[in-house]
Amino acid sequence: MSAQEKYQSLLELANQNGTSYELSEGDNGTLVVTGVAPSEEAKTALWDEYERLDPEFRSNDLILNISVGQAGGSGTTYTVVSGDSLSKIGKHYGIAWKSIWDANRDILSDPDKIYPGQELKIPV
Amino acid sequence: MKIKVLTVFTLAIALFLSACGKSDADLTKAVNDKLAADKVTGVTVAVKDGVATLTGEVGDITVKNKAEASAKAVEGIKNVTNNLTMKPRPAATPSAPDPALTAKLNDALKAAGCTGAIVAVENGKVTVTGEVPGAKYVTCIQTINQAGITGIENKLTKGK
Repeated sequence: MSAQEKYQSLLELANQNGTSYELSEGDNGTLVVTGVAPSEEAKTALWDEYERLDPEFRSNDLILNISVGQAGGSGTTYTVVSGDSLSKIGKHYGIAWKSIWDANRDILSDPDKIYPGQELKIPV
Repeated sequence: MKIKVLTVFTLAIALFLSACGKSDADLTKAVNDKLAADKVTGVTVAVKDGVATLTGEVGDITVKNKAEASAKAVEGIKNVTNNLTMKPRPAATPSAPDPALTAKLNDALKAAGCTGAIVAVENGKVTVTGEVPGAKYVTCIQTINQAGITGIENKLTKGK
């Protein structure tokens, strides 16, 4: 069984959770997966799957080189003041209100409702 | 009399065809459409007697599996022969020459709290020995995997 067959569920998972990857061939047929995961959780899920397929990672047939992308994580933050709206803040940073909305779904439930003092992630 | 025989014969053929369902040509088109809808490219489809044969070269095994699943999902396809091959993988290149890679690994391992791990690098392949706390084991292996290495010989042990 080739390493790709052995680790196919890992690659399927990467496709599902939004991890982009490239394959190359390392020492003695080692499968080298180099990629970027959209979040720390996605990366952890891939490592959990790797561990399930190869407990303790002793087969030496896979190199899993996954970093976590900068999906809004390292952007700036903005503190909402009275009279703000997402489109007004977006205009200030030169981005669409919707990209701020998308980056803050975890704390916002309605794009029309933001409150003074809220800290919004600005994906720039 | 001759006309009557011909009519019966034609009717029989028509009945036979409709009972049979879709022709292989129809099925080939249906499979191609399904593959296009599922965004699978680089696959050549041939259908004979309801059995689809897939040939061509695809990116990796996930595409190969997906193509097979897509073809199987088409109504009227009885079986799929998956003869797809995977693109040869380019050779992996180490992120740095051996001495620099060794230094990089040691720095990263130290930062991750894996000081018990000992690495030896040869042509991008890392042999790791030593012992790290059991709770740190996965982190240490991750750290080594992420340094840009091209091979691994894992002899790291779990301590307390």
